[in-house]
Amino acid sequence: MNLEPTMKQSVIRRSVRKFAEDKLAPVTAEMERTGKFPWEIARQMSRLQYFGLEIPSEYGGAGLDSVSCAMVIEEISRVNAAVGLCLSVHNSVSAYPIYRFGNECHKERFLYPLASGEKIGTFCLTEPNAGSDASSLETTGVRDGDEFVLNGNKIFVTNGGISGINLVFAVTPGAGNSKRFNVFVAESERDGLEKGPPEELMGMRGNPICPISFHDCRVPLDNLLGEEGEGLKIALSTLSGGRLGIAAQSLGIAQASLDTSLKYAKERHQFGRPICEFGAIQAFLADMGTRVEAARLLVYRASFLKDQCVDHVKESAMAKLFASELAVDAARMGLQIHGGYGYTKAYPIERFYRDAKVCEIYEGTSEIQRMIISRSLMRQ
Amino acid sequence: MYEPVPIKAMDIVVCIKQVPDVPSIRMDRQRMTIIREGVESIINPLDCVALEAAFGLRDKEGGRVVVITMGPPQSEQALREGLALGADQAILLSDPLFAGADTLATSHVLARAISKIDPLPDLILCGMHTIDSDTGHVGPQIAEELDLPQVCGVNEIHMDGDSLVVKRLSDGFLETARVTMPALLTVTHALCIVRDLPLASLERAFSKSEIMRWGLEDLGLNADEVGLMGSANRVSRLHPPTPKRQGELVDGDPQALLDRLLRKLEALSILDEQDGNE
Repeated sequence: MNLEPTMKQSVIRRSVRKFAEDKLAPVTAEMERTGKFPWEIARQMSRLQYFGLEIPSEYGGAGLDSVSCAMVIEEISRVNAAVGLCLSVHNSVSAYPIYRFGNECHKERFLYPLASGEKIGTFCLTEPNAGSDASSLETTGVRDGDEFVLNGNKIFVTNGGISGINLVFAVTPGAGNSKRFNVFVAESERDGLEKGPPEELMGMRGNPICPISFHDCRVPLDNLLGEEGEGLKIALSTLSGGRLGIAAQSLGIAQASLDTSLKYAKERHQFGRPICEFGAIQAFLADMGTRVEAARLLVYRASFLKDQCVDHVKESAMAKLFASELAVDAARMGLQIHGGYGYTKAYPIERFYRDAKVCEIYEGTSEIQRMIISRSLMRQ
Repeated sequence: MYEPVPIKAMDIVVCIKQVPDVPSIRMDRQRMTIIREGVESIINPLDCVALEAAFGLRDKEGGRVVVITMGPPQSEQALREGLALGADQAILLSDPLFAGADTLATSHVLARAISKIDPLPDLILCGMHTIDSDTGHVGPQIAEELDLPQVCGVNEIHMDGDSLVVKRLSDGFLETARVTMPALLTVTHALCIVRDLPLASLERAFSKSEIMRWGLEDLGLNADEVGLMGSANRVSRLHPPTPKRQGELVDGDPQALLDRLLRKLEALSILDEQDGNE
């Protein structure tokens, strides 16, 4: 069993880490302060194909395997989780479903601009009354001649404030009380698509997460992704892949918490010696380090299984569950190690603490992940 | 100022070396040894500058960039990274007998390999020094063996007909030199900013590109010309330097201390007199 990265994967990790440290890190403080999305960094990332990670080169992407994609998300998130989130959602649950379920016309119209970073993508599923219970969504897509008409409200749309292409999950009423779940591609400039102001959130500052509402928004029949009625299948498949992206993001936050805590513990002196010599601090570091290694194995094994085209629903859920809860714990332990200074904005640990919490919630809460894992185990 | 003059396409060879990522090297202070585990191997940073300069010349004037290295088989990773950054061809010089080479033996192998490249390059670029051994010898020694004009420590390159006009800082003076090609230059960080690695280029570099591999016999060399046997130097011991703290403790009025500090930095040529007075 070879757990070592390939030569190519090693080069990918190192080059993305260098980009993140040299280019992204210097703008992170400003991004935190202003809440503004770093467009100049996004332009640089698009020139390096960070917005088309898994998309083959014939559609303008980098054509990377899932393990490499996870590395990119992890390394970016280690420096800036909000930008990592942008890349994860754009790549995993916006561009990839179009590649997987779209026809050549979809790829021509939507995949090129997404893979090149010319347009940022979203995944519009959550609604005021449909969070974990995605099947109770109320946004409708009703056929009218050669168009579908979208009506409804989506909330907490990651990348919403900057998106150009939106995957919208809606129901198409059928005979009686029947309904079919469908996925539509709605370009942001369509009449009837309205974006609300970005939410004021606890963390992930700089990623404009906002509501998007549809008022008689008309899209051509061609904008239907997949076959009619395939929407739930597309959603579940897409979320499974998206889970890996968030798992990688969470791992990045946890690793960053460990790195900064190690550095601080060696430098901070109390009672005449560095605090890393005290048992209580060593216990924190040991727990963080061990769990980061465990999360790393889970994330990359699930990614490896995806690359082997082997069923990985359980493994992705495990990776997301473990890594997201670790991110929260690692940030908490890291902040405790930093003491009072950790509570100030002079150190990044407080940002990791605020950023980490949402990883336990979005793209399937920890409770949903536990449900998925237990059902998979019980089927064995 | 030199106006760019269109010239024929250039064949450029860039010599690179795979080195440990030195800033991440740690010392085991108890055993006084280098901790090699977990230390990544990278392309020597100044060699990346040389590559970037080569790409700039090629993209402007046309031509070809060949990246070459002497090293163990794992040096292939550095070459493939060079291909991903934009090189057209890669050559690995690897043979068990090349092991243990000092800069003289290394230069000899590289010079022989470069002389076998068809067509012969118009320009050879090297980083001025490496972050591990830091000698700065290999570039000049290659130039001497190939009887080429050389300028070391270049921070500007301009084309002018069939020659290059280059600039470098030397002992506090800015020198400008005209160099006829073929020639060899070693480069500094000031020359250009190294590009980030585009992910889409990795497929070609790691899957589709062939690496040319040459050993002792391919180069027509004898065993006593290469490796440990071909070296003029032997490394007898590698150890961290004994720290010798040097310092001067001062106190007094802040303004007087500042003046004293500035004069000290001027005396050590860290600041020049004009900067100190500003």
